[in-house]
Amino acid sequence: MKKTTSLYFLTVIGVGLLVSGVYFIKTMEDPQGMLRVLPYISFGLGCVIFGHGIGEIIVRQAMKKDPAAAKQLEIDKKDERNLAIANLAKAKAYDMMFFVFGALILGFSLMGIDLIVLLLLVFAYLFIVVYSTYYRFKYNKEM
Amino acid sequence: MNNRLEEIRKKRGIKQEELAKALEVSRQTIGSLENGRYNPSILLAFKIARFFGMSIEEIFIYEEENNV
Repeated sequence: MKKTTSLYFLTVIGVGLLVSGVYFIKTMEDPQGMLRVLPYISFGLGCVIFGHGIGEIIVRQAMKKDPAAAKQLEIDKKDERNLAIANLAKAKAYDMMFFVFGALILGFSLMGIDLIVLLLLVFAYLFIVVYSTYYRFKYNKEM
Repeated sequence: MNNRLEEIRKKRGIKQEELAKALEVSRQTIGSLENGRYNPSILLAFKIARFFGMSIEEIFIYEEENNV
């Protein structure tokens, strides 16, 4: 579990990114290249980091006030059936992603999109396959 | 795998919530175990057996599949 101080730090960073994003969106006149999207990325990242940070802080505060609820939350998080369900769902999603990604690559190649983009997609696809194989071998040795 | 969890729990007058709390699992897990929808890990099986002061075999009934 993250320390509360690092959560506050994360929230402040989120606010900083959010505010700077809004500031640059409002003040920059005729931005070129990367600068056109950078403020929006900063704004988006800021929102996500701020949301995550503040959410965690609120949960921690609520857990401090109600230790029984905190204990139940901890039990639900570590519950072996819940973990098994989450892992099964992830495995199903991985299987589906395999087909969706393949179909997407096939579709893009038939559409004749830029070769660089297509190669990036293929490498991402292969990376996931290699990653999965690596863990299969790793767990095979460990178990 | 069948089990006598519900029968044993009711015989001892323990609620699902109480058993779940003692075993540090969710109430849904106890419900699923009792319905036979979920088979516990060996650790949870031992925890359950210890809680009731019984052996695993007395609670969980293993039936071999007839594939021949």
